[in-house]
Amino acid sequence: MSLKFLVVDDSVTMRRIVVNSLRNLGYNDFVEAVDGKDAFEKLNADNSINFVITDWNMPVVSGLELVKSIRGDEKLSKLPILMVTTRGVKEDIIEALQARVNNYIVKPFTPQILKEKIDQIINAS
Amino acid sequence: MKKVSNMSELFERLNDLKSIFWYGQKLIPIIQSIIDFMRDTVPLLDDINHSIADSTSKMPKAKDQITNVSSATELATTEILDIVDSISADLGKIETIFNDVQKEEENKRNIWDNIKKLLPNTPEAETLIKKYENNKKFESQSQVLLNSFNKIKNDVYNISLSLQVQDITSQQLAAVNHLIESVQKRLASLIVHLDESDIKNFEVQMINETDEKTFDADARYTKDSNKQDSVDLIINSTLNKASQDEIDKLFS
Repeated sequence: MSLKFLVVDDSVTMRRIVVNSLRNLGYNDFVEAVDGKDAFEKLNADNSINFVITDWNMPVVSGLELVKSIRGDEKLSKLPILMVTTRGVKEDIIEALQARVNNYIVKPFTPQILKEKIDQIINAS
Repeated sequence: MKKVSNMSELFERLNDLKSIFWYGQKLIPIIQSIIDFMRDTVPLLDDINHSIADSTSKMPKAKDQITNVSSATELATTEILDIVDSISADLGKIETIFNDVQKEEENKRNIWDNIKKLLPNTPEAETLIKKYENNKKFESQSQVLLNSFNKIKNDVYNISLSLQVQDITSQQLAAVNHLIESVQKRLASLIVHLDESDIKNFEVQMINETDEKTFDADARYTKDSNKQDSVDLIINSTLNKASQDEIDKLFS
C-alpha cells in the first residue's frame, strides 16, 4: 500500500525531521501543514492523503482538536492518526486515546519508534 | 438634696472630661508618630509603585528577548538542517557511484576469471596473474569504506534527530513567556497611585498573551525511553495487555 503522509506541526524543524525520517524509512509522498486548521483544509482538498502524523500543541486548532474533527467527519473518520508530541502524562495519553488516535509517540522520538508505530497502525488496519 | 446630687454628677462628668484630656495628651505623641510614619510611608509607597511599574514595563522587553532567542535558534536549526540535507544528498550521490563501481568491479572480476582460463600455463603468465591479483586494493578496502560510509550517513541522520531539542526548548521558552505575562498581570493589579503618564506608558506596553495551547510547559528533552514505555503501556492497557498496577508504577 502506498502511503501519502500529512505531517502537521507548527515547528518547521519538527516537520523537516519527521519528513526526513519518513524518507529514510522509504516513504516519499508528503504534505505538510502548520496547524490543525491548515491540516483539515488540506485533508479536504486532497483525498489521496491516507496517513496523518500530528503534533498536539499548535496555534489556531490544536492536534487534539484536529483528531476530533477528523473522527467527526464522515469522509475522513477512518484515517490513521499518529500523534507525535512532548506531552507524556497519563491524562494526556488517555485523552488522546479517547479522541481515537491510532498511536502515540513522545518527543524526542527515534526512527525505530516511528517505524514501529507506523507498522503497527498499517498492520492493524 | 437634689442640688448636692447634681453637683456630684457634674464633678463626675468633669473628671471624665479630665480623663479624656489626660488620655488625649498621652495619645498626641502616638498620633504624631502615626502621622510621621504615614508621611514617611507615602514616598516609600510611591517608590514601590514606580519600582513595580518599572519592572512591569521591562517585562515586554524580556519577553521579546526570549522570543528572539527562540526565533534565532529556529533559524540556526533550519540552517543546520539545510547543511545536513545537503550532506545527505551528497552521500546519496556517493552511495550511487560506489554501488556502480562495486558492480563494475564484480563484472571485471568475472571477466578476469575468464581471461585467466584463456592464458597459457607458462611461468611468465603465472607471475603476471599473481602480480595482478595482489594489486586488488579496492576489493579488500571496499568493505571498510562501506562501513565508514554507513557510519557517516547514520551520524548525519542522528544530527538531524537531535535537533528535535529546538522544538522542545522553544516550548519551554514559550512557557517562560507565559509566566512573565502572568507576573506582569499580577503586578499591574498591584499598581496604585501612579500618575497619569505612568499609567499611560504602562498600558501601552502590556504584553499580548501567549495562547496556552501552543506549548507544553512540561516539555523535556530526554533520551530516556521510559516515557515512551509508559505511553505504550497505556496504549496496551486499552487492549487489556497491561494491568492498571503496571501503569501506575510507571507514572508514579
